[in-house]
Amino acid sequence: MKTLKRFFTRARNLAGQRAQDERLREEIEEHIALQTEENIRAGISPAEARRQARLKFGAVEAMKEKYRAERGLPGIENLVQDVRIALRMLRKSPGLTAFVALTLALAIGMTSGTLSMVDALIFRPYAVPHPDNIVTLVGTTRDIPFDYFSYREYLDLRDKTTSYDGAIAYADMEAVGFSSEPAATPRIKGGMLVSGNYFRVLGVEPHLGRGFRDTEDQVPGRDPVVVLGADFWKHEFTGDPSVVGRKIRLNGAEFTVIGVAPESFPGLLTFGHPDFYAPLAMARVFTTNLEKNFFEDRDDRELTIKARLQHGVTLQEARNELAVLAQNFERDYPQANRGRAAAVYTLFETRTIEDGNWKFCVIFFILGLAVLLVACTNVAGLLLSRARARTREIAVRLALGAGRFRLIRLLLTESAILASLGGLAGIAIGYGVVEWFQSKAGIVFMTELPMEVPFHMDMRILVASVALAALSALIFGLAPALQTTRVDLLHGLKSADVDLPGRKRLWGRNLLVVTQVSMSLMLLTAAFLMARSFQHTLLSGTGFAKDHLLMVKFDPRLLQYNAAQTKQFYQQLATRLRQAPGVQSQALTQNVPCGQDEYYGVAFVPDSFPMPPGRQNFTSMMDTVDEGYFATMGIPILRGRGFLASDNPETPRVAVVNDYFAKHYWPAGNAVGQHIRLDSPTGTPVEIVGVAQTIKYQDVTQEKPVDFLYLPLSQHPISRIYLMLRSTGDPAQLVPSVKEAVRSLDPNMPMLQTRAYQDLYLNQAVYGPRIAIQLVGAMGAVGLFLAIAGLYGLVAYNVSRRTREIAIRMAIGAGQSDVLRLVMGKGLVLVGLGTAIGLAMGLAVERLMNYFLFDAGGVDIVAYVAVVPSLLLVTALAAYVPARRATRIAPTQALRYE
Amino acid sequence: MKQTLSAKQKADVLQGTLALMVLKTLDVLGPLHGYGIARRIEQISGDLLALNQGTLYPVLLKLEQEGSIASAWGASENNRRARFYRLTREGRKQLRAETQDWEQTAAIIGRFFEAKAEDLP
Repeated sequence: MKTLKRFFTRARNLAGQRAQDERLREEIEEHIALQTEENIRAGISPAEARRQARLKFGAVEAMKEKYRAERGLPGIENLVQDVRIALRMLRKSPGLTAFVALTLALAIGMTSGTLSMVDALIFRPYAVPHPDNIVTLVGTTRDIPFDYFSYREYLDLRDKTTSYDGAIAYADMEAVGFSSEPAATPRIKGGMLVSGNYFRVLGVEPHLGRGFRDTEDQVPGRDPVVVLGADFWKHEFTGDPSVVGRKIRLNGAEFTVIGVAPESFPGLLTFGHPDFYAPLAMARVFTTNLEKNFFEDRDDRELTIKARLQHGVTLQEARNELAVLAQNFERDYPQANRGRAAAVYTLFETRTIEDGNWKFCVIFFILGLAVLLVACTNVAGLLLSRARARTREIAVRLALGAGRFRLIRLLLTESAILASLGGLAGIAIGYGVVEWFQSKAGIVFMTELPMEVPFHMDMRILVASVALAALSALIFGLAPALQTTRVDLLHGLKSADVDLPGRKRLWGRNLLVVTQVSMSLMLLTAAFLMARSFQHTLLSGTGFAKDHLLMVKFDPRLLQYNAAQTKQFYQQLATRLRQAPGVQSQALTQNVPCGQDEYYGVAFVPDSFPMPPGRQNFTSMMDTVDEGYFATMGIPILRGRGFLASDNPETPRVAVVNDYFAKHYWPAGNAVGQHIRLDSPTGTPVEIVGVAQTIKYQDVTQEKPVDFLYLPLSQHPISRIYLMLRSTGDPAQLVPSVKEAVRSLDPNMPMLQTRAYQDLYLNQAVYGPRIAIQLVGAMGAVGLFLAIAGLYGLVAYNVSRRTREIAIRMAIGAGQSDVLRLVMGKGLVLVGLGTAIGLAMGLAVERLMNYFLFDAGGVDIVAYVAVVPSLLLVTALAAYVPARRATRIAPTQALRYE
Repeated sequence: MKQTLSAKQKADVLQGTLALMVLKTLDVLGPLHGYGIARRIEQISGDLLALNQGTLYPVLLKLEQEGSIASAWGASENNRRARFYRLTREGRKQLRAETQDWEQTAAIIGRFFEAKAEDLP
């Protein structure tokens, strides 16, 4: 209490220092006057009396010092003083301050911006209470580390595991036709099927109404209830609280709104934010696979399972338990579960295994750190050279009795202020980077579903940015501070421009040069590499035609069509479009190449192929297509035939494989005519009737050739289908014809994703990578700019430091060319060293990128050929300009100059 | 042999006790200026504590900041402006508590010095 009181008094005293000093002075005066009078009374002469009074009082200044220490808060006072001095110093050189702050801002902004990406894709916890103990349960096979579970499997896992405080399941967010009234045409929204315990286990309290009851998820089709997402509720129902209890229609079926999820809970997905949630038991209204029975088939795997680990149960225990259950599954249901195991993943494992985009972000972040390092060395170099100019100031301070520690603190305060400026501006730039990404959201997700770029400058990132700024202040501030305060007082006071050729000092500067050259070389290599390999893949093509194609997606399940109705719809649609003008050919396919949906996988056993021991089957990506597909997409059939209208459920099963698949399993080249069996050695035999060219299936930039299998639509009916139309002219002109045809069949049938295929392709394959390349390119440019500026500064400074030396050399007979050689030789050696290290690091980055992202082949010579000479040139210039100036100075002038 | 306190020892004594002396002085003599307090302490201690009078002022400041004493300008004996310190209610309370403490401590120490080996059971 007393201490607190004193603290506040002291803090207040900081303000009224003048008055306080005055008071003390008066008191001292009075005190000495009284003592003097007393001494005089004792018979001492006035002068002596005063002297003795003073003696008796003691050292006035020391006392004042103590008095002040007692009065104020010396720590804060010193800090305020430091800040004031530092600000004055920085104001004195506004150009330098601005440059340093800008440099740091760029670097910190890039780092924190990319860090927000890494955070969003890997580390950011789920928006639920106690997110740390939520784990993901996944099925695994030899080929797939991340597979879904079926409904039956979920029930078993939920009921038989003991490691968890509840296990939830949900299906992928999918397009659902939503209408608030029966008459309205359905609009596409993102819906998600979740288990009845979803909100309860996650600990999410609904904003309005209630969450699901467990009983509402027990009987298939009985309880049509729905919980709305907060965003959807706000936009669609203008935040109307009376929405609870209302009836809405989803895919034509009536649902009752029972609650609204809180705004703090956008769902568990990284990108998607579901508009509403419905219980798994309502899956018939939603679910995807028409060939399977969602509630019964153990191999209809569409569910993600997450569970809350019980307190005190270790991850290993949970893993062991699940492994045993998976073994039991395999024993009890050999048909559905052969070769399947299961795993428990933490958040980190889930995010890094599920989706590969984090790799980009990590590489961005590493590059961001490299930029930051370049910026720091840059600033350190600048401060070092400025420090030299301040040698005298520092020497005077030291001579007057400032402690070295105190001075280092002062210099670090300057650095900290610079870093704060840079950090603040950097956070602004980070916002800019994130904002830029957000603005690309429309390009990144070409979809009707509620998707969002999840990068945010949230509290975590702000804290990290501040930490980065502080760290960089230490990095760039400490070395100059230590060095500056290590001056030789004698020399420092005598000369304004002292620089003793201490080995250590030169070494430090040389290190800066080398670091900068190597870092910027690495950055540039990375940027070049990305751009070039991207160009390379674009030039090498995808193996199919992209222009003159119109795509439309249909999903008759939105209107509750059964299998027969679905088949009829597509047949009639095809018939009508055949007569439409401008249609060259048409095709139906389950998926489009390089589109947004993932291909399904298929398990198969090739006849006459020796199975490796312990392996039951292989898996491959697959697509279900009709007879017009290969011609319409321009995918050449290399051997055999494509599908025919005569392939139908009554005729023998057939398949087309890609070239890679054919060579993979039949290296002799006799794939056509061979058989594979689906799922298992006893499965349906399918004859391979043709070999199609291998194309890019999912990703233009990252994909290596893969196995691919096509099955005919007529033998494997599906519901959700893309219609592809090859046009003679502009594909957009076909839209009215398609609309007309669809309307005549069913006016309520929504046309999804109606667009020129090329737009989708550009979006998926070109714009996305282009964003990445723009980002890395920007980083490379910033890195190069900083490196060049820093390099020039350092080299030029190193040369200018030697002005006197050069003058002496010239005075005693050195020629201009000798001096130039001397000066430039040194700079070039440093750059050479930096280049060597940079090349090594560039190679490492290239390896990393090749491994992670691209299939760009071997070493990209062009990148180096382009980058190295430009750096050499800059260095040479930086050495040359001041060296030339030095050689022009008259020796007498240079020697006198001080 | 009469031992004078070394400067260091003196300082240590002062650290702990000067504040208490100031409080007691003000308690006995009423409002007083800095010089008066210094003189009084010197007189009472029989010049044993011939302190640097200046050291008194930081102590006065500390006490004032803690609220044990208050100060105001007034006129000195020869009618000049001087700062007078007086005990506050809180200071009186503190003095009482510290006096008690001190007496207790002194009594205990005293007993230790008086005690002889044979006194113990």
